[in-house]
Amino acid sequence: MRAKVSAAGEREIRIERIFDAPRERVWQAMTDPALVAQWWGRGNRLVIERMEVQRGGHWRFVEHSAHGVHGFEGRYREVSPPERLVQTFEWDGMPGHVAVETMTLEDLGDGRTKLTTTSLFHTAEERDGMLKSGMEEGVNQSYAALDRLLAKLD
Amino acid sequence: MVQFSPALDDTFAALSDPTRRGILERLGRASASISDLAVNFEMTLTGIKKHVQILEGAGLVTTEKLGRVRQCTLGPRRLEDEAAWIDHYRRMLEARLDRLGEFLQRSKRERS
Repeated sequence: MRAKVSAAGEREIRIERIFDAPRERVWQAMTDPALVAQWWGRGNRLVIERMEVQRGGHWRFVEHSAHGVHGFEGRYREVSPPERLVQTFEWDGMPGHVAVETMTLEDLGDGRTKLTTTSLFHTAEERDGMLKSGMEEGVNQSYAALDRLLAKLD
Repeated sequence: MVQFSPALDDTFAALSDPTRRGILERLGRASASISDLAVNFEMTLTGIKKHVQILEGAGLVTTEKLGRVRQCTLGPRRLEDEAAWIDHYRRMLEARLDRLGEFLQRSKRERS
């Protein structure tokens, strides 16, 4: 098990777990709402508002604990049963801080399954950089359009 | 358990202490000298210096000697929020995986 910092401006957390259950069973526990409701809330009551397990589908879970109500949501990016699930993850409390979670299930051949979860966070530094470069490009494009317009008016 | 690269580990270790989180919050409002912080947190200069050193080591705070006063300012912008959130996220994820393991054990017994 490890977590590491990858490229500048990105942070990756990677966790591996081995479960004493066949891969299909683990996949089912992760993708069937009736089963997800039994563990995802970490012991707190969980309301599954949306769970469209397909590429582009939306998910939204709300955890009700003694400390308050917390909403989590995202979209499924890849659904490849029973081996790979990729989704975005965002918590209502930190809007805009989107992580991409990749879950890979490996059949260990002895009735056990290894689940590897990789979560990639794009940090503020990188987002700010992207925003800035995007804005510069946008401004340059606007200036270029203005130049063309002015040239026509001449 | 999860192992962090040194940089990330330092960040989370720095954030694990309530006084240090308090110092970050305080510096988030305005820079302060070591002695200001000692007064704010009712601690000795030596005690505060230790906390500030840990925060500085993690890149969360920078200090600058201005005459006889050491002034502390917040380090890389927004890192404290983000690092705390990522740490919280990791703990949530681990707790969730623990629950998934328990659920699989429980349902296995029920099915057999």
